[in-house]
Amino acid sequence: MTAPLETRLDFLRRAQNADGGWGYFPHKQSWMEPSAYAMLALHADPAAKPAWERAWTWMRGLQLPDGSWAAAAAVREPHWTTALAVILHVTAKVHDQAFVRGVEWLLGVAGKENGLLFRVVQKLRPGIVELDSSVKAWPWRLGGSSWIEPTAHALVALKRSAAAAGQARVRERVAQGERMILDRKCIDGGWNYGNRKVLGHDLPSYPETTALALYGLQGSRDAGLSSPLETARRMWSQTRSPLAKAWLAIALRGHAVAVPEAETTAGDDILLAALEVIAATGALS
Amino acid sequence: MNRRQFLCAAGAGAIHAGCGRQREKSPVAILKAASYSAGLAGQLRRGAELLNLEAKGKRVLLKPNLVEFDSSTAINTHVSLIAAAVELFRHLGAAQIRIGEGPGHRRDTLYLAEEAGYRKEVERFDSLFVDLNRDDVSAAGPFGDTAQIYLPHAALEADLVVSLAKMKTHHWACATLSMKNYFGLVPGAVYGWPKNHLHQIGIDRSIAELHRLFPRSFAIVDGVVGMEGNGPIQGTPKAAGVVVMGADLVAVDATCCRIMGIDPRHLGYLKLSAGRGNLDADRIEQRGEPIGSVHTPFALLDQFKDYRLT
Repeated sequence: MTAPLETRLDFLRRAQNADGGWGYFPHKQSWMEPSAYAMLALHADPAAKPAWERAWTWMRGLQLPDGSWAAAAAVREPHWTTALAVILHVTAKVHDQAFVRGVEWLLGVAGKENGLLFRVVQKLRPGIVELDSSVKAWPWRLGGSSWIEPTAHALVALKRSAAAAGQARVRERVAQGERMILDRKCIDGGWNYGNRKVLGHDLPSYPETTALALYGLQGSRDAGLSSPLETARRMWSQTRSPLAKAWLAIALRGHAVAVPEAETTAGDDILLAALEVIAATGALS
Repeated sequence: MNRRQFLCAAGAGAIHAGCGRQREKSPVAILKAASYSAGLAGQLRRGAELLNLEAKGKRVLLKPNLVEFDSSTAINTHVSLIAAAVELFRHLGAAQIRIGEGPGHRRDTLYLAEEAGYRKEVERFDSLFVDLNRDDVSAAGPFGDTAQIYLPHAALEADLVVSLAKMKTHHWACATLSMKNYFGLVPGAVYGWPKNHLHQIGIDRSIAELHRLFPRSFAIVDGVVGMEGNGPIQGTPKAAGVVVMGADLVAVDATCCRIMGIDPRHLGYLKLSAGRGNLDADRIEQRGEPIGSVHTPFALLDQFKDYRLT
């Protein structure tokens, strides 16, 4: 283990809140997102077993009656981070009722662009936003439109759950989610949050969302990823965003493209520290 | 101020707005600023004096407009204005000054701040800065048709939120000024990137609702170099050479519109907020420069051509 990696793991171990979760920054409210990535970063660390167990108990307490997970104890409503909870269950090899209800929730959620109102408006004014509203993908929150990032996380969760949750039921949603990502690709070859063209204007891609799109497409049989992967590799070498760099490394590793370990820049950013560990160890590949 | 006091204050603002009594004229200061290179702090101090701005002992949250970074254009509030605002509120004796932003598209807020020069040129920036997308949150509201909205503690606990906005056109709302800038108060950790929830409620309505929830506000709008055309990101830089300041954000935004050659009475969010601020020119007391001396028509997208001030 490299010294920077050990430094980040030590930071994560020390930054855990008393309730078992992690905030985005030390001593702040526990949130599902940084907690899930801290757990994934620490999962293979024997010294972190007690921390993992406290986190597991905290995370399980955030599940809502409809099977979804809340973003935080202070925000008790269904949230995209349900996908992260499902990934944690797969990582821990726990395929119990809580896991099944989480998967069912993911399978039942879709962006509102599939609805009649959106499709009528799109028919009348097709130039507002260009997208294929026939495919089902995932929103940040219930009732919202679908976007690249929540779709990518749901795809990874469902692909990893398929063996335990039933291949056939999952396969159709995964295929649709992948179609959505491919449909939203920007003209420059990468992805932004999920709009390639608005009001007739092409929008640029971002490195972090390009990474997340490719992360969601891991294992895709689509043959057209060589150009986006090259775009991602170029972004990795050019971006000055540590978050983008970490996600690009995770995504490229997921497509068997090696990148060197980046220097740590996380500071007191728990999510970034966890992603940098995952990027270095391949914990999500 | 705790959450209960915050909600009471927001409610009191609403009650006052609905009482039917004609509100006093709103003073708005217009200050010429030909460039960011020098004299900006002095101009802000002059504006504060013109408006009798008081901040002694207050916890102040400075909210710049940091959206995306492109060195070739003018998307964000210029770092010199932020540095000048920090200096102003220190001079005014603020008990605490924080800088907070929650960008709607990009997740790496500190990277954006780095690219925009904030970390380099604002003294002790990292110790002042709060990523509002990832701060602790509490529920406030109601908000639109929903019972509540989650908002960051850095904003809820501030005695004064200062909208350090950019003078720009906007492809959905026509113009983005001090009120639209409050979209960055809404946490991405709850609502995502972009903050789709606000668009679902309606952009105009969401702007008006955020304005209602933060009655203790002040605005400083960076119109030194703004953006025209396909704003707020893909437009063209437009030098207006002006900074606009005031405590009534409706009046500040209406004044900015008139400088930009836009009739503010057409903007949905200003119409919705007219009960909480002064929109009409005869209810706004212009201080500093007259509008006519800084009038700089901004190019508008075709869908807003009828909004042109005639």
